[in-house]
Amino acid sequence: MLNYLLRRVLIGSVTLLSITFLVFGLIRNMPGDPAQIASAEASLDQAIDPADYERMRKDYGLDKPWYEAYFVWLGNLLKGDLGRSFGKKEPVSRLISQRIGPTLMLSVTSLFCTYLLSIPLGLYCSSRAGKPDERVISTSLYMLYSLPAFVAALLLLYFFSFKLQWLPLFGMTSDNHKTLSAWGKFKDITWHAFLPIVCYTYGTLAYYTRFVRANMQEVIRQDYIRTARAKGAGPMRVLIRHAFRNTLIPLVTMIGLSLPYLLSGSIILEQVFSWPGMGRMYFESILSRDYPMIMGLTLLFSIVALAGQLLADVLYATVDPRVSYS
Amino acid sequence: MSSAVEHSTPGHPVNPSGFPGPIERSPGFWRQAWQQYRRKKLAMAALLLVAWLGVVAILAPAIAGTRPVVCKYKGEIYFPALYYFNPDWEPVIFSNDKFRQRYPKNLKEKDPESWAIWPLVFQDPYRRIENNEWDGQKGNPTGANGVPSLRNLMGTRQDGVDVFAQMVHGTTISLLVGFVSMGIASLIGITLGAIAGYVGGWADMLLSRVLEVVLCIPPLALILAVQSILEKPTIWHMMMMIGCTGWTTIARLTRAEFLKLRDADFVLAARAMGLGWPRIVFRHILPNALTPVLVPITFGIASAILTESSLSYLGFGVRPPTPSWGALLNLSRSSNGAMWWLIAFPGSAIFLAVLSYNLIGEGLQEAIDPRLRDAGK
Repeated sequence: MLNYLLRRVLIGSVTLLSITFLVFGLIRNMPGDPAQIASAEASLDQAIDPADYERMRKDYGLDKPWYEAYFVWLGNLLKGDLGRSFGKKEPVSRLISQRIGPTLMLSVTSLFCTYLLSIPLGLYCSSRAGKPDERVISTSLYMLYSLPAFVAALLLLYFFSFKLQWLPLFGMTSDNHKTLSAWGKFKDITWHAFLPIVCYTYGTLAYYTRFVRANMQEVIRQDYIRTARAKGAGPMRVLIRHAFRNTLIPLVTMIGLSLPYLLSGSIILEQVFSWPGMGRMYFESILSRDYPMIMGLTLLFSIVALAGQLLADVLYATVDPRVSYS
Repeated sequence: MSSAVEHSTPGHPVNPSGFPGPIERSPGFWRQAWQQYRRKKLAMAALLLVAWLGVVAILAPAIAGTRPVVCKYKGEIYFPALYYFNPDWEPVIFSNDKFRQRYPKNLKEKDPESWAIWPLVFQDPYRRIENNEWDGQKGNPTGANGVPSLRNLMGTRQDGVDVFAQMVHGTTISLLVGFVSMGIASLIGITLGAIAGYVGGWADMLLSRVLEVVLCIPPLALILAVQSILEKPTIWHMMMMIGCTGWTTIARLTRAEFLKLRDADFVLAARAMGLGWPRIVFRHILPNALTPVLVPITFGIASAILTESSLSYLGFGVRPPTPSWGALLNLSRSSNGAMWWLIAFPGSAIFLAVLSYNLIGEGLQEAIDPRLRDAGK
């Protein structure tokens, strides 16, 4: 097992190197550099002094060709330095740590709700397969699964925030957030997070429920289920003790695979709700050509994606004694 | 089955097993799959809907437009509506006669003898209709006043462009995106998967590394980055990028099929007959490996449409003059949610398109997988 882990980590670091190299080359070849954008913002009407511009380029490390700059970036990374954001003039790691909370708040809550709801729903659907209520639930879940999250977000915003004005239109906090008491602050954030969490959750909920159900359908045709029934075990007992426990393996591996989405957030949903999270930060850094920011985020996304795949495989071997990697 | 009857007539090959009576020809794989598919009402409805979208895309200029579908002008027959497919296809005579894109009045003034067949709805996907451009039809409202009405079936945008016309003409984009990008993705995925599966060894190793790299980068992020690199990003660039990021499942499935079939008896027989590898791969393995790949391709079309609309919503997809469902959603953002028709109509169109492809994929999966096929009974 240890051997396997070591090999996977080694292969993973090669993958990481190739991803970062690729993305670095890609973004350094985007037209317009941050120095240009910054100078255009600083002085809209007066032309920038060429000497200033050169100095700025040098500060940003743009005077070197990109493959050289990549190794400078890599060297700094090994020293634990992700660089400073061009736009916000702050270390990338600090900016990321500021934004990671809001994203995790949405994604972890949503994952929790998903598991909490999808397992009972999936079990209910498989126990009542073919009955009218199951058909209704399954069909509506399928519709929800196909409904793009950002379309749902826009519609919900229209109804609940614009028409009824029950819920805030955007952002994570109200303007008077700082003046509120601790309980008030909590309520304020919950209020703002409600719609984003609903939009994050319903799609995965539909997917997971269908997943649970599909796995159950496969298991329920096995001989040992018939044996359990023949022995006189009650329907609930057969469903949960005999069938459901055997569908846990794919469910557990799913946790590993959903790890990257927990951290990276959703670019489009965070954009719709103006939520100050990772996805929105990535979008903003692409717009402002904030190279260190983009690189830092790409690195983080790739690490969690690789770690998620590894975790899925390891969990798979842990929960299923038939699988071993040694 | 007429073929079974034919076989029983004298002079035709006799059943080699010596069993008396005609050979009962069992239905082929695709016929069985189709019979299976046809039983699913929802999947059939979805197929019809996609076909209908195709018809709408082709007939778009005849449904909504400001140019005659057919007209007779100065003794000749013209098809000015073809302009909507390609601006170069507009007959030169109309620009020479200074029509300036306004057909109804000009046709009558410049040639009283002329006649024309007009689109069902006189609205343009690219510009606002002005007062009395069409006899008795008022100009389009602007700003937040463009509520859906009889004149503007789905309302208007802030600048007065008709949403219905944009929706109809935007159908082309969503169909194109789905099919072109998945065409690219299947080409890449099937080729790489086939090589990895058939050659094995280092090729297999290489593919799994490339797969890992592609899977690690969120596709939307990568496409955003590339779209901002390009000087003039077009819809074709976007389709290429969607294709270049969406091939992983296809490659994995093709690889698995090739691994399985590489050692199958019929491949061994083909090899024993001395066939070269291109013939074995293309004639013998590929047709047998393609079926399971159809399902992820169908789901891929759904996700390509979704990616296109997300990108257009973020302002990185289809560029403004080209009508697209996602771009309409983008406009709803600047109205702060006041113009519900900019969300409801394009939103439901995207939803229906995605739903249809998902349903088709699902139906296909059950129709071609013998295990699921028997499970349905």
